[in-house]
Amino acid sequence: MTSIDADIVIWLNGLSGNIAAFDNLMRIAASDYMMPLVFSLSMLGLWFSGNNPAQRIRYQLTTLMGISALSIANIVVWLFNIIIERPRPFVEHGDQLTLLFYPPTDPSFPANPVAVGFAVATAAWTINRKFGLWLSAAAALFGFSRMYAGVFYPTDIIGGAVVGIAIYVFTTYLRRFLEPLITGFVRLIRGLSAA
Amino acid sequence: MNTDPGVVRDLFAGHYFLFAFLTSLGAIQIAVSNAGTRGLWLTPYAITTRWFGIVLIVSAIVIFFMQPLWIDGPWAAGSVEADSLTRDWGKASWDELAGARNVNDIHGGLDGVKQTGWFSLAAVAAFVVSAIVGTLTIEFLSRAQRNSSGDQDSEMTDGLAGLTDRSYLSIQPESWRNFRADIGELWRNGVSEADSWNLIKSILGRSSK
Repeated sequence: MTSIDADIVIWLNGLSGNIAAFDNLMRIAASDYMMPLVFSLSMLGLWFSGNNPAQRIRYQLTTLMGISALSIANIVVWLFNIIIERPRPFVEHGDQLTLLFYPPTDPSFPANPVAVGFAVATAAWTINRKFGLWLSAAAALFGFSRMYAGVFYPTDIIGGAVVGIAIYVFTTYLRRFLEPLITGFVRLIRGLSAA
Repeated sequence: MNTDPGVVRDLFAGHYFLFAFLTSLGAIQIAVSNAGTRGLWLTPYAITTRWFGIVLIVSAIVIFFMQPLWIDGPWAAGSVEADSLTRDWGKASWDELAGARNVNDIHGGLDGVKQTGWFSLAAVAAFVVSAIVGTLTIEFLSRAQRNSSGDQDSEMTDGLAGLTDRSYLSIQPESWRNFRADIGELWRNGVSEADSWNLIKSILGRSSK
């Protein structure tokens, strides 16, 4: 499995250097600032969407779930990183890869940006299938670009996606226990005319 | 050239805040124009508000990723894949622009926690600006329109629902009244309902169930 994983990254990264515009596009997609902002803006936009009070409260509760899932996903990835200290592809196969991104110092598995992206995308998917699919595509592109850049293995990406989706499902389960508080929190923000 | 990460972080924080503020403002404008929340529109019309939102987001992305062309920072010379600490301080060239912003957080880039903090601040600022400009739009620019269409007494609602045809300022009395009622009700009923393990009661020293 590790060999197939490495072969895919080496092959994919080997495509870099042929089309400069594509390499640059991947550098921007892999950026720490681009896709995370897309995920944050999607949740911000969802909070202010909704054409009637019932739809609005549903969107706002989903936004809170998405943000909570995002935070929990970060913690779960951090725990995974402690347990499974998988080195990055450029550490193990540095001589075969052209790094298109700065060399991250944290372990590789699972991919944190992908976990966060899929947690948000799953939240969006529960509201609107098309919206969710667009965000899933953005999360997948984020993962692909990092793989193309030589900083993640394919299994890191798959692991990240699974963690993100699973954490969202877990968060919605957790919501049942905190329900009066969560709806109450939205009502308090409504007092500031922001919900 | 080794640059102090603190200096790089300050530079990034300023740039990122502007980026997050403009894109947040754009996202809010697109959302409220679709939802018909006129009290937060930056322009009097839905279509112009929506397009203004799109322009804000696109402009912010272009500005953020092109700033290294005219502002000195840790993105000059050296390859973009090089360790971000070893890059020179200066302006980026067109060839290196796409990777110029890829600076490791240990070398002054913003980590997830800092980005969350700055984004939250930017989103609140974008909401405040929307509320202020939306109030001006409703109170002044639409006055003639409202006069010609007669009485506008709408259902007294608070929150975003109340902003459909009223300004942020004008719904504050209801919002504040409901806020006080809600916080009391939440404390009396919501907390005890959610506290199935009697954790809060135990902390406060009261008897458990």
